[in-house]
Amino acid sequence: MSVLQSAQKQEIPAFQTDDDSCPQCKSERYLNNGMRLLVGPCYHRICESCVQQIFDAGPAPCPECRRILRKAEFYQPIFEDLTVENEVRIRMRMAATYNKREEDFKSLKDYNTYLEMVEDLTFRLLYDINTDEAEYLIEKYKRDNTASIEKNQSKFRREEQLQQLISNQERIKHQQQREEYLKQLEEEKREKEVAKYNLINALATSDKDAKDIVKANMVHLKKSSLSNRSATQKPRLDIEALLRNVGGDFDDEDIEEEDEYAPFDPAESPYEPMDVELRSRYDDPNPAFRQGNTLAAAGMTREVHQRYVIEGAIAGLFAQPLHEDMVDAEATEANFRSAESPNS
Amino acid sequence: MTDKPQLYEQASQYRHWRFTRESLDKLRAANNERGIERVLRGLREEAHVDDDHSMLETRVSEATNNLLTPAEELELIDYYLQMIKVYAQSYRKNGLLKPEALDNVKATAINFMKRFYLHNVVFDYPPKSIMLTCFYLATKVENAFMKIDDFVRPLQAAETKRGSKVQTKNEDILELEFVVIQSLQFELAVHHPYRAAYGLYLEMQAYINDAALLKDVFDRSHHYIDLSLFTDLVFLYQPPQIALGAFKLAAREKDLDIDTYLTQRFDARLLEMLFTVLDDIQDTVSAFKNTSQKDAQVIDRKLILCRNPEKNPSSKLYKKKAAGQGDVPYVSDSDSD
Repeated sequence: MSVLQSAQKQEIPAFQTDDDSCPQCKSERYLNNGMRLLVGPCYHRICESCVQQIFDAGPAPCPECRRILRKAEFYQPIFEDLTVENEVRIRMRMAATYNKREEDFKSLKDYNTYLEMVEDLTFRLLYDINTDEAEYLIEKYKRDNTASIEKNQSKFRREEQLQQLISNQERIKHQQQREEYLKQLEEEKREKEVAKYNLINALATSDKDAKDIVKANMVHLKKSSLSNRSATQKPRLDIEALLRNVGGDFDDEDIEEEDEYAPFDPAESPYEPMDVELRSRYDDPNPAFRQGNTLAAAGMTREVHQRYVIEGAIAGLFAQPLHEDMVDAEATEANFRSAESPNS
Repeated sequence: MTDKPQLYEQASQYRHWRFTRESLDKLRAANNERGIERVLRGLREEAHVDDDHSMLETRVSEATNNLLTPAEELELIDYYLQMIKVYAQSYRKNGLLKPEALDNVKATAINFMKRFYLHNVVFDYPPKSIMLTCFYLATKVENAFMKIDDFVRPLQAAETKRGSKVQTKNEDILELEFVVIQSLQFELAVHHPYRAAYGLYLEMQAYINDAALLKDVFDRSHHYIDLSLFTDLVFLYQPPQIALGAFKLAAREKDLDIDTYLTQRFDARLLEMLFTVLDDIQDTVSAFKNTSQKDAQVIDRKLILCRNPEKNPSSKLYKKKAAGQGDVPYVSDSDSD
């Protein structure tokens, strides 16, 4: 199905070869490069201009099999093998009607029976066995299940949209990560250049021993690249040992350690903070908190109240409902225990 | 950073009162089975009370012919859940219930009753009395307390008007209070979709421009949340999820696009899961039907014949046990353990 859908969105080009030729007018791609070969419901190839000619005046018989066709029914096939094209189309049609899912059934067996039934009908359509009866059954099913078909269709559409949203968000995130990484590389490169420049400068102007100067500058170089990296990954333990060996100054390294041991904040909430942005004005249904009213209780501002209320509405919005196999572990134990006490 | 727990995961509702449809069915079926056993055992015990075995056979066969299935139990309970709604309205009209507390009291009472019958059966505790106790308890939990005399007076007035012989007494409600709390595992905090819907409404104001339409949808969602209280959704999903489901139902009716808000506001990957949840909520709420009074009466009549005499205050067995214990402060089962 997805192949046809992407074909309709023109992501997949229609199938064509260099030695295509129209069976009716015998024109060839070699001579007419823009030629489009179409097929109708009977899967006989015919070129676009022939279709114009034959079917422009209204429904007409197919030149090959004499089946009555309309112009609007012709399309460009995307598969070379037309039986594949046929099967894909039939399956797509079936999937649009028979769009129930496993969760719509009480048991796996029911679902399998349903799948079997659908596959049976598809098979009949594919191989022209009792087609009339199959068509009748499909129509009947469609009539009986209009509501559930529509519901599942909208569900499917919504999932597709969500999927698109997710992939969009993901793409943006990746892009940002990449940009950040590139920026970091750039920074590192620039710093290295500066260090190199400093080293050359020092060598040129100072009158100390050249070896000492090189050694001191190498330490700086190493340090700066390490501190840069720590932004993305945790500093390794051997940094300290390394620096101690080299004997550089520790002053600016201590900052990194403070990150790991954040200071204890007694007023900090022990719970996960929530992402809520307050507006300055709300149309509050509670008259006590309307704009302009003075509040009766001390210490409770309008903002505090509104934050509580909004946080209360967001908290637990994404709590997973209990699942059957989680129940045995958690809930039953607690609840059956209490069930014993009042009654037995 | 992400290893911090979420606040809502600490709620008792999240930790102890979540189920799947299958586990709910299993739990109810198991309770029903055990309840039936207790009924038959109680009948036999009652025959021993005055050594009158002549009636035993007929009583047992009467009971076994009229036993309620789990589904019938649920129907009966559902009818009395609707009664909670009606009572809440009438208490509000009397001025006993503050209008702003109405929703929460009603929803909490309904929730208490649903939770109670996850661990009990109607054979032991008929829903009519449990309903009143749950309601009274809910007024206390939701900070809308009324005196027990005030609570009972309108009930008695209604009963005299109807000309019924039995009058509800204070003790009828108070005696069951501890039984109910015990079955609720002493967890009385219940979170409802109303507040979540309120928060969602505030949130959506930042994303949806048509303020008047949004307000319409918000008001309408209230109706669907009311409906959702009667379903098992409270045991399956979180209040914000139910609120959003109600919002989507209301939005469909008023022709407002909420999906755009969701896709703008949240990560698409999370939405995939949320949408299936919302679908289920919408289907369940719109497919739900309350039990009619006629059906409830039929079931209620059957229940009279298959009540557990051990818990029935008008039975001989209960009276004998009560006499043996002297003054029983409340109907408690802890002594039978």
